[in-house]
Amino acid sequence: MEDGNGGQNLPTKTLDSDLDPNLQKKHQSMLDRLSARHQTRLDSSLTRLDSSLTRRSDLSNSSESTSSFLSRFSDSKRSIESQLAESRQIASSDPARLKSHLDDISSSISELEKLVAENSYFLPSYEVRSSLKTISDLRQNVESLTAELVPKKKFTFKNKATAKKEPPKELEIEKSNSVSTKTSNNFVIRDSPGFRNKANEIFEKKFRGSDIGEFTLSDLDSCEVRLSGCFDALFINRLKNCRIYSGPVTGSVLIEDVEDCIFVLASHQIRIHLAKRSDFYLRVRSRPIIEDSNGVRFAPYCLEYQGIEDELEAAGLGEETGNWANVDDFKWLRAVQSPNWCLLLENERVEKVYVANLETGNEGS
Amino acid sequence: MGLLSIIRKIKRKEKEMRILMVGLDNSGKTTIVMKINGEDTSVISPTLGFNIKTITYQKYTLNIWDVGGQRTIRSYWRNYFEQTDGLVWVVDSSDLRRLDDCKMELDNLLKEERLSGASLLILANKQDIKGALTPTEIAKVLNLEAMDKTRHWKIVGCSAYTGEGLLEGFDWLVQDIASRIYVLD
Ligand SMILES: Nc1nc2c(ncn2[C@@H]2O[C@H](COP(=O)(O)OP(=O)(O)OP(=O)(O)O)[C@@H](O)[C@H]2O)c(=O)[nH]1
Ligand SMILES: [Mg+2]
Repeated sequence: MEDGNGGQNLPTKTLDSDLDPNLQKKHQSMLDRLSARHQTRLDSSLTRLDSSLTRRSDLSNSSESTSSFLSRFSDSKRSIESQLAESRQIASSDPARLKSHLDDISSSISELEKLVAENSYFLPSYEVRSSLKTISDLRQNVESLTAELVPKKKFTFKNKATAKKEPPKELEIEKSNSVSTKTSNNFVIRDSPGFRNKANEIFEKKFRGSDIGEFTLSDLDSCEVRLSGCFDALFINRLKNCRIYSGPVTGSVLIEDVEDCIFVLASHQIRIHLAKRSDFYLRVRSRPIIEDSNGVRFAPYCLEYQGIEDELEAAGLGEETGNWANVDDFKWLRAVQSPNWCLLLENERVEKVYVANLETGNEGS
Repeated sequence: MGLLSIIRKIKRKEKEMRILMVGLDNSGKTTIVMKINGEDTSVISPTLGFNIKTITYQKYTLNIWDVGGQRTIRSYWRNYFEQTDGLVWVVDSSDLRRLDDCKMELDNLLKEERLSGASLLILANKQDIKGALTPTEIAKVLNLEAMDKTRHWKIVGCSAYTGEGLLEGFDWLVQDIASRIYVLD
């Protein structure tokens, strides 16, 4: 079959007659499938259409469903735009109502996004893309209106989370304990390096050469952990009252279930789940995110040890992007500030943390 | 619109494939899509919602839907199921702790009737990380052998950082979809 020339590659009778019977059978079955496939596409677009549309089974239906979508889309768009336009007036006449007004707009935009997602399977890709562009423009508008009209409050939390300094029992170096994990279908997974199941201790680990990979901190209570050197990925799970200092992570840090902790981390991505009353001092290339968290506060990275500048540079984290302050809360997808997190004011931040001991550690495990 | 141009238009759309990428958050979906598309992968934020990439692959146009995997937004996955030709399930092979979660979400997805005809590519991503499980190990954990016999599936180890394995995976996926739909090609 020739290709790339508009309708040229439509199967024709003459083509059929040249083929041997076997191929011809195959050919016919392809045609059947193709037409069955059109039919399912058309049918399912039809069933999704507004009931007001008359059902007709000719080919023009798929373009009618597109236009029905487009008219619904532009109706909602217009109504959102007029709501946006009202915001300024509400801000001056009835400021108390402004927040809920902006919230309403945000949820209308989410509805609109859902409409696009639901209809996307029959829409031409151009329509999908331009609808998505419209949605992101509307979001942008809400954001800038919010920034302009809603007075910037400084969000702070009263009880500052301070990791109580227990006298360290001993300085444990390189005693990372490996465990093997078992999955539900009893497949035993190999060991993975990390510090686990400890209380009131200090740990150090220096990543070097071929030693890098992923690393896990889990089930620690009132511990301090100092990690230096570049490594690939950090998994943090179930920590209480701990202080975690880490050099650059070239992939991502995944944090789940922590409370009353202080983290000083540098990474390409940082994802925080189920965190309570904890402070994060971050250097991060993308936007940090939180989910199911509250009482978490953010500040810029503040770790110092010999050679850290070079390590950050090598990991692509040499530059302060300012992203430590651009937190997305997946439990608060609205334009107004999430109540779950805030920025740490300068006078509430810890001093730069110097970890001198790191240089004396043994290397490699 | 004349009849011929309508036919031509539909014909062209038939060369399109709709591919849905899902998996737990942090598994590397967005990084994989950007890598295939030859874009810079050094600054990627967790996906709030979804991205669509239209990529020309061999003679097909792939519409790739990359949907965010954070727990809060997994319930929206179902909005994207309709008319999916290929399903790509991405696994972070270095995230040992969440493999049970990963298996559970995949099992749920495969029960979905609207996805029953879709070819399934499982990408065991992050093979570049020391300590990552191999594709064979991931297949055991996910119990892939027990999958419904009518499903076309394949597991491939890959790294979105080095690019290793990505073409092998997508070649299989596109060929498999094509052979189901465009028999003669
Ligand atoms: N080492 C390594 N890291 C990877 C690889 N692929 C992705 N990553 C890292 O893993 C993290 C998550 O990648 P994303 O592409 O954002 O993951 P996602 O699946 O799109 O996540 P959601 O959008 O939340 O669903 C990022 O920090 C990536 O740099 C890989 O092959 N190797
Ligand atoms: Mg993503």
